[in-house]
Amino acid sequence: MSSLRLPVETAHLLLRPFERGDVDAVSRYHTLPAVQRYIERPTRYDEDVAAAIAVMRKQVGLQRPGETLTLAMVRKGDHRLIGQVSLKWSDATASQGEVRFAIDPAQSGKGYLTEALTALIDLAFDHFRIHRIMVRCDGRSHHSVKLMQKLGFRLEAHYREHALFQGEWDEELHFAVLDREWRPSAKVLELPLRDRVA
Amino acid sequence: MALHPEFPLLTDRLRMRPFTRGDVDAVFDYRGREAVARYLFDPPLSRDECALAIQQRTNQTGLSEEGDRIVLAVETRDAGVLVGEVSLIWRSVEARQGELGWIFHPDHQGRGYASEAANALLDLGFGAADLHRIFARCDARNEPSWRLMERLGMRREAHFRQHALFKGGWDEEFYYAILRDEWLSSRHPGDF
Repeated sequence: MSSLRLPVETAHLLLRPFERGDVDAVSRYHTLPAVQRYIERPTRYDEDVAAAIAVMRKQVGLQRPGETLTLAMVRKGDHRLIGQVSLKWSDATASQGEVRFAIDPAQSGKGYLTEALTALIDLAFDHFRIHRIMVRCDGRSHHSVKLMQKLGFRLEAHYREHALFQGEWDEELHFAVLDREWRPSAKVLELPLRDRVA
Repeated sequence: MALHPEFPLLTDRLRMRPFTRGDVDAVFDYRGREAVARYLFDPPLSRDECALAIQQRTNQTGLSEEGDRIVLAVETRDAGVLVGEVSLIWRSVEARQGELGWIFHPDHQGRGYASEAANALLDLGFGAADLHRIFARCDARNEPSWRLMERLGMRREAHFRQHALFKGGWDEEFYYAILRDEWLSSRHPGDF
């Protein structure tokens, strides 16, 4: 596997590793109730965010199963940090990955997550050779559900009250996409010109 | 809550009781078969492996802590023939979750025994064990198994494709589940 080149550039965003100085920018959205509502590990105060960034700063590649790659979404025009995406290599034997994301609610609905996740999923399948990617989300998170459908994920699981989440019965959805579903023709397009027979 | 039921559990036609050393041959007669093992995590078992499995099961008769399981031999009340086994696993204490499972001898399938035994275990799980949700899972190709889950009133909650390797190939797995409220309304339809 060739080495991973960061940052990843998309039409409107730079996806780059987190830096120490990102605490204020991340706190601005991460501590909002609308974001906290669907997050597994609460970050209510700046100290929580600083601790989270200390962890995320080191998540810059996938060398071993269990590791996570986490990238900040930075808007090219004004260099504003508007969200985050991550890819966890959850299982090496079966090449499984899990994607997570969060965005500043003020910046949602503008296609930024679609753009960032498309780039991250391309990376997962093309660079890291993941076979299947799954995304978990709360059943009440309509924005996430729409986003998954837009990206072409299948709804694989709809758990009702299978665990407690933030003190209440949960409703959890699992979405998934297989490599061949994501880009059926990728293997053909990948061949460099000089390797073709004719 | 912790559960140490008194055995045997009786249904119309069946007696469900802990395994004993005398069950080795009867268990080997179905767990040794390729057709039975096809959709189980274990390969077909040898007679020695059956003896070992039964030795472990003689203690699997109650739920004291998370991960504990009750595994019971199912035999007919009239002839005393061992027709299969059922299990209930305590998956989460905090969220009161349980998992139901069964394996039946092919010669005794199609008579509703699995349905009768599994229903008795659902009653135990939602009754004395006070569970909130009970789930079961199977290979998507194992139609008799998921048909039974549907007859038990369980809903298909998940259909995983290629999310793990199973016996050298990609898996396809169904999860079915039933909530306490759903079980209550199926047992006492007039009360709701």
